[in-house]
Amino acid sequence: MSKQLIKLRVNGEQYELAVPPNKLLLDVLREDLGLTGTKRGCDDSSCGACSVLVDGVPMLACVALAASYQDCELTTVEGLGTLDALHPVQSSWGDAGGAQCGFCTSGFLISTKALLDRNPHPSLDEIREALSANLCRCTGYMQIYESVKLAIERAAAAKAAGAGS
Amino acid sequence: MAQHSIIGKPLAMIESGAKVTGLGKYADDLSVPGMLIGRILHSPHAHAVIRSIDSSAAEALPGVKAVATGKDAPRPYGILPIGHDECVFTKDKARYIGDNVAAVAATSAEIAEQALDLLRVDYEVLPAWFDPLLSTEAAEHWLFADKPRNIEKEYHHNFGSVDEGFAQAAFVREQRYFAGEVNHAAMEPHSTLAIWEPDGRLTVHSSTQVPYYLHRTLAEVLEMPMSQIRVIKPLIGGGFGGKSEVIPIEIAAGVLAKKAKRPVKITYTREEVFLAHRGRPITVVDMKVGLTRDGKITAVAARVVQDGGAYCGYGPVTVLYSGALLGALYDIPNVRYDGFRVLTNKPACGAMRGHGTVNVRFAFESMLDDLAREAGLDPAEVRRRNLLKAPCITVNGLRVTSYGLPECIEKVVERSGWNAKRGKLPYGKGIGIACSHYVSGAANPIIRSNIPHTTVHIKIDRDAAVTVFTGASEIGQGSDTMHVQIAAEILGVRPARIKLVAADTELTPIDLGSYSSRVTFMAGNACLEAAKNMRAQILEAIAAKYKMDPALLDIRDDNVISLDDSRLHIAFDDAIATALEFRGALVAKGTYAPPEEARGGKHKGAGVGPSPSYSYSAQTVEVSVDTETGQVRVEKIIAAHDCGRALNPLTVEGQVEGSVYMGLGQALQEEMVWDNGRLMNPSLLEYKIATTLETPEIESIIVESIDPEGPFGAKEAGEGSLAATIPAVANAIYDAVGVRINSLPITPEKVLAALRVGASFSSPSSSCSSRGSDGGAK
Amino acid sequence: MTMPAFRLERPRSLADAVSILATHGPDAMILAGGTDVVPNLQMKLFSPRVLVDIKPLAKNAQLASIDWSPANGLRIGALATLTSICESPLIREKFPVLAAAVATIAGPLQRNMGTVGGNLCLETRCQWYNQSDFWRKSLGGCLKKDGPICHVAPGGKFCWAAWSGDSAPALLTLDAEIEITGPQGARRLPLAQFYKNDGMDRIALGRDELLTAVHVPARMAGRRGNYHKLRVRNSIDYPLAGVAVSMHVDSRGICRDARLALTAVNPAPLLVKEACEWLAGQPASPELIDRVAQQAIRTAKPLTTSGSTPVYRRDMVRVFTRRALEESWRSADGK
Repeated sequence: MSKQLIKLRVNGEQYELAVPPNKLLLDVLREDLGLTGTKRGCDDSSCGACSVLVDGVPMLACVALAASYQDCELTTVEGLGTLDALHPVQSSWGDAGGAQCGFCTSGFLISTKALLDRNPHPSLDEIREALSANLCRCTGYMQIYESVKLAIERAAAAKAAGAGS
Repeated sequence: MAQHSIIGKPLAMIESGAKVTGLGKYADDLSVPGMLIGRILHSPHAHAVIRSIDSSAAEALPGVKAVATGKDAPRPYGILPIGHDECVFTKDKARYIGDNVAAVAATSAEIAEQALDLLRVDYEVLPAWFDPLLSTEAAEHWLFADKPRNIEKEYHHNFGSVDEGFAQAAFVREQRYFAGEVNHAAMEPHSTLAIWEPDGRLTVHSSTQVPYYLHRTLAEVLEMPMSQIRVIKPLIGGGFGGKSEVIPIEIAAGVLAKKAKRPVKITYTREEVFLAHRGRPITVVDMKVGLTRDGKITAVAARVVQDGGAYCGYGPVTVLYSGALLGALYDIPNVRYDGFRVLTNKPACGAMRGHGTVNVRFAFESMLDDLAREAGLDPAEVRRRNLLKAPCITVNGLRVTSYGLPECIEKVVERSGWNAKRGKLPYGKGIGIACSHYVSGAANPIIRSNIPHTTVHIKIDRDAAVTVFTGASEIGQGSDTMHVQIAAEILGVRPARIKLVAADTELTPIDLGSYSSRVTFMAGNACLEAAKNMRAQILEAIAAKYKMDPALLDIRDDNVISLDDSRLHIAFDDAIATALEFRGALVAKGTYAPPEEARGGKHKGAGVGPSPSYSYSAQTVEVSVDTETGQVRVEKIIAAHDCGRALNPLTVEGQVEGSVYMGLGQALQEEMVWDNGRLMNPSLLEYKIATTLETPEIESIIVESIDPEGPFGAKEAGEGSLAATIPAVANAIYDAVGVRINSLPITPEKVLAALRVGASFSSPSSSCSSRGSDGGAK
Repeated sequence: MTMPAFRLERPRSLADAVSILATHGPDAMILAGGTDVVPNLQMKLFSPRVLVDIKPLAKNAQLASIDWSPANGLRIGALATLTSICESPLIREKFPVLAAAVATIAGPLQRNMGTVGGNLCLETRCQWYNQSDFWRKSLGGCLKKDGPICHVAPGGKFCWAAWSGDSAPALLTLDAEIEITGPQGARRLPLAQFYKNDGMDRIALGRDELLTAVHVPARMAGRRGNYHKLRVRNSIDYPLAGVAVSMHVDSRGICRDARLALTAVNPAPLLVKEACEWLAGQPASPELIDRVAQQAIRTAKPLTTSGSTPVYRRDMVRVFTRRALEESWRSADGK
C-alpha cells in the first residue's frame, strides 16, 4: 500500500510525514512521532488509554485514521505540561495517587483536562460521567477523584495567584 | 527512631513524573534500530496433535527474518520446578485454542501477520476436555500421558479431628459454591523487546513481575548461560499476577531474536492477553462448617476442584493456598482440606491477586453468614468469637505474629453503622460483612535454595548521592518508592538524594519478584538492613575523625549531628567526603530471608501458606437490589486493612481500594465465558471490568498492628482486601432480599432466578458454566 | 491487530462523496466517527478497497447541524456527533427520549467521535461475529462472515445478529424520517422502513448512497419519553436490550398518542405497533401497561447473540416497557 503525505499538528508542532492511509493516529503518534505517552490497552475502542484531544475534545486515537485528522489541533499527554511545568492535572495525579501503574493515566489526564476546560468546578457525578469511558484497573477510581479535586484546587489557586500579581 | 520523618507520610510515587508526562517507558514504548516485529501463531483447535509444520512459504515471504517452531526451543519450562510442562511452541500437540505453535519475526507487523497465514500446520484433532468435573472422569485423551484422569495435583490435609468437631457443633451446613474464571486485565498488554547484542548476549526488556525467574527461564530454554542474558524491567502497566510467571511471549521474543540475530518486539493483542491468561481458575468448592450454639467454629471441611487449564503454571501453589489459608483467618481447631488441580483444554490459570485464597474465602464467609443466622447471632459477632490470639501458631502450622483483625472488624462495624443497619434496612437494601487475610510474602521460595529472598545494595560515592540497587519490581504498587522511603528515613536524607536502580539483572542483586505480596516485607527489610549498615559506616567514619562515640551521632535532614552537647554539625556531602577518605566508595548490603520458624510444617504441601506475617481485612458492603431486574447496586464499601504499619498511607489506601475494586468486579460482573474451550469474551468490551459508574464509594481504613518483624512494622497491603469484598457483597444481598447466591459472578439473572424460587441459586452441578443453560448454542 | 489495506478518500463535497461511492460500488465503505467501523476493520470483518471518510463533509453546516423550526420540525445532520445531540438543550427539552437514548451510547469518548448517521447505520452484532480473525477462523466462521452456519440458530439460513444501536429506537418513537442522498439526489424514507430485520443485510441503503440527515416531525416535539437500556456496565457497553417510549399525555392523564420501540432483541430496531393502537385514548392502568409489556415480549426475539441469556433479555423487555410507560405517564402528570 503506497504511503501518502499527511500534515499533522500535534502539541503545537507541525509535522509532515508519509504514512499509509490505513495507519491509525495512535500508531503514528507512537511510532512516527515518538509520542509514546498515548497507550493501546485494547483493540476495540473500549478502554480509553489512547485518548487525545482533537480541537480540545477527547477522542480515541485507536479508531482514528491519522490521515483523517490533518486539519485538527491534536494534543497528547506530552502536550499538557512539561516536567518543569506540570499541568495541574499532572501534578495532582502524582500527589493524590491517581497514577498507580500509570498505563491508563494519559487517557485519564486527557479526559480530565477536557472536562475542566469546559467545567472548572464539576460535581463528583459529573467527574464520574466524564471519566466513564476510561478504564483503570489499579485504583478503584477513588484516588482518581481525589486527584481531580486536587487539580481543581491547584488550578483555582494558580488563577488566584495570577490575578493577584 | 520513634519519630519518623518520611515513614508514615503520604509520598507521591517517585516515578509519577514519568507517568503523568507520558515520558516513562513501558515495554511496548521501546524501539531500537533494526527492530523486527514478532507475531505468534496460535492453535485454532482445543486439543490436536501437530503432525507437521511447513514453514517454507512463510520463510520465503520478503521481510520475514525468522520463523520459529517447537524444534527451535525444545526444552520445557514452567514456573514451578515440579511443573516443567510447557514449551514455548508446543512440540507434540496443542492443548487449548490459542496454544502457541510457531512465531514469525518480520520487518513489519503486516508482513508478520501475512507470514502466519502462510504457515501450514497439519493437525489431528483430538477429543477435548472442558469441564473440570468431567475432565477427571476421562478414560483417555488426557492432556498429558503422565497425568492420569487429567489431575495435575491433589492434596489432602487433615488437622485436628473434623469428625469430632462436627459432632460438637450445634449447626452444620454443607453447600457447593461455584466461582467463574477471571482475568487480571491489567491495562498494559504484555510486551517484550529482546535484543540480540553484537557480542552474542541477549538483553530482554519485558513486562514482567519476576525478572529473576524470567532470567533463569530464558537461560534454560535458550540454552545460554545466565551470564549471557540480561533482563530489564521497564515501567509495568499493572500485573496483579498476570505477569508473575514466564509468559510465552517473553521466550518467543528471545528465540526469534537469537534466530534472526536482530532485536525483536512482540506485544500481545488484548485477545492474546486473555489466551496467555494465568488468571483465577473456575473453582468448585464443597464447603462444610460446624458452629456451636454460642458461635464457635468447631470444624471446617472443604473439597476444592480448580480448573487449571492446559498447563501446570502455578497450579499446585494455587490449590495449596486455598487450603492453607482456609482455616487460618480464625481460630479453627479442626480443618480438613481436599484440593484438586485439574487439567482442561483451556488457557492455563495461574496466580491472580489474592492467589488461591479468594474463592474459598467467598464460600467460607458466605456460609459463616448463614450459620450465624441459623444460630441467631450477629454475623459480626460470630467473627469476633472466633478470633485468633496472636502470637500463635494456627492448626496447620502458620505462625501469626501480629493480628489486627479484631480492630478491623470494630472499625468497619462502627464506621458503617452496622448495628443500626444489619437486618433493619428496608426490603431491597442490605448490608453485609466479611473478612479476609493474605501472606506478606511466601516464606518458602519457589525454587528451594538458601539464597536470601532479597538482597539490596547501597552505594555512596563522592557525589554523595545514595544509590539503592534492588531487584524488586515496581509494577504500580509502590515498590520503588518504598525503597526510597526506607533508605531516606534510615540515612536521614531527603528522598530526592536517593537514586534507585531497580530490576535490571545486570546491575541489581536478586529479588524473587513482585508476587505473594512479598516486596514491602522482604525487600523492605533488606533495604532497611542495607541502609542501617550504610548509616553505621558513615557514622563510624565521622566518629573516628572527631574521636567521638558513634552512638552519639545521628543523621537528620541531610546533616550529621551530635546528640551530646558537642554541637557537631556536618553537612551530608562533607560527611561523605570524610567517610570516603582511605576507603573509596561506600557500599552496604542488606538481605532478607524468612526466619526458620516462619516456614511452616512438614506435611506434604506445607511449603505453601507460611509467611513471615499476615495482613487482615474486614469489610462492610451496602447494596440495593432491584427485585424486578435482579440488578445489584453497591452503594458503599468500607474496608479496614491491617497492613502492620502504613509506610506510605497514600499507597496503602490505593492498594486497598484497588483490591476492593477488583473483588467487586469478580463479585458482580467479571467472568471469562467459555463455549467448548472457546473464550467468548476476549476483549475489554465484553470482559466487564467496572467503569467509574458502577464503582461505589470505597472508604479505606488503615489499621496498624505493627508487626514485630516487618520493616518499621509493615506488612502487605496489596492483596489481602480483595477476598473479603466478594462474600461481603453476597451477604449484603442476602440481607437485602433474603436470597443466597452461591455462584460467581452474582449476575442479575442469578439474583432474579433466586428471587423467583425464593431461595438460593447454585449453578447446576452437572455443568461448570455459571451462565444459564441457554447461554450459548453448542 | 493490524488494519487491512485500503485506499482512503476524503471527499470535500456531498457530490464528490456520492460519485466516489457510485464509482466503487460494493468495494467502497463509508467511514464517519470510526468507533464501529475501525475495530471491525481490525477484526477483518470487512475488506473494502476504498474507505470513504465523510468527516470532511461536516464543514458543510447542513451535514452536522441540529436545526429546529415549528414548521419543519427537527433536522439533524448525519455527521452531528452523539455528544452534540445528547447535550443539545433543544433536544433535551423537546425530544427527551432521543437525548436519553443517545446519552447511553457507549461512553463519552465514543460519543465525541460517533455520529448519529453512524449510529443509525451500525453493523449488527453477535458474539459469534464480533471476534478477531483468528477467533472466527478457529470456529470456521459464521453465516454472516466466511462460514456455512449460524451458531445462534444452526438449523437455519438466517442471520440473527442483533441490531445494537440506541438512537434508532428513540427516533422510531418520534416517527423520524431519514434523508438519503445518492446519484439521483436526496430522498426521504421513514426510519422504520430503513431497517430490514436481517442480520446480514441490515439497512436499505444503496451502495451509492449515504445517509445525510434525520428529520423528526414538529408534532412530536414536547412529548414525554424515556429510554431503558439493559447492559452490564453503565458506560462503554452496547445494549443487550433497550426500550424507548414517547408519549403525548393530555392534562387529564389520557394518553393521546404513544410509540414504543425495542432494540438489541432483533436484527432490527422495531416499533411495537400494537402499543400505539392500544395506548391511544387510554388512561394509565396496570392492566393496560401489562398488556403492552406482554406484547413487547412477543415482538422481541432475542437469541444467543450476546453474553446475556434470551430469557433474561425478554424478561427485561417486559420490565422496562412497564417502567417506561409508567414513567411517561407520571412525568406527564407532573408528579
